[in-house]
Amino acid sequence: MLLFRSEETVQAWCAARGLPVRPLVRLDQIWFLAKRWHENRLTVDFRRPGPDEMVGIFSGIGLTGPFWDPTADHW
Amino acid sequence: MREVPMDFDTSVKQAVYTLVANAGEMPDASRVAVEVGAGIAEVEDAFARLYKKRILVPEPGDRSRIRMAAPFSGVPTSFLVKAKGNAYFANCVWDALGVLAAFHVDGVVEASDGHTREPMTLEIHGGSPIPIECVIHFAVPVAQWWDDMIHT
Repeated sequence: MLLFRSEETVQAWCAARGLPVRPLVRLDQIWFLAKRWHENRLTVDFRRPGPDEMVGIFSGIGLTGPFWDPTADHW
Repeated sequence: MREVPMDFDTSVKQAVYTLVANAGEMPDASRVAVEVGAGIAEVEDAFARLYKKRILVPEPGDRSRIRMAAPFSGVPTSFLVKAKGNAYFANCVWDALGVLAAFHVDGVVEASDGHTREPMTLEIHGGSPIPIECVIHFAVPVAQWWDDMIHT
């Protein structure tokens, strides 16, 4: 997950590599995900979110569809 | 209440995270072996099992080293996190903010635009990001993240 100044520089980065532009996420959204994924990372009982949990976390901040589904086979 | 002893892999995982959090530098198997009082080969085997559990990513071609113990990176990257008087390399912008989330502290991420390399700074202040003009691009669908986590 890379940081860009603008959507234009994302498009240039993708074009230079022949890659499609995929979803763009805002700073407040990535901060939410950073906290949700890592706030307990240093504890003994840390565990990664399971597939259903991940879908719920993503959809809770408006990231929906097969791209955000760890069980999807198309996107 | 009686303390439940940790299994070996959890002890190794905790040692890795404690060492990188305290020093800002990813430990190798020999350093972790000293920490947990085990042999280097045992620790390397634990690294491999922790990879299967999606906890660590060993360095390709060198099972004694760790490339990723999210959110921390074992190699220099373009995401440098400054917090707690230390500097930490993170694997991506998500993980860079994740370092601050893991420590529950404010701090600064020195990064750059993925295309132009223009320096960009993210700051968490008072528990929230200071808004700047930026976007984050997810190039890989979630279902494919662990096909090649280093690329992701």
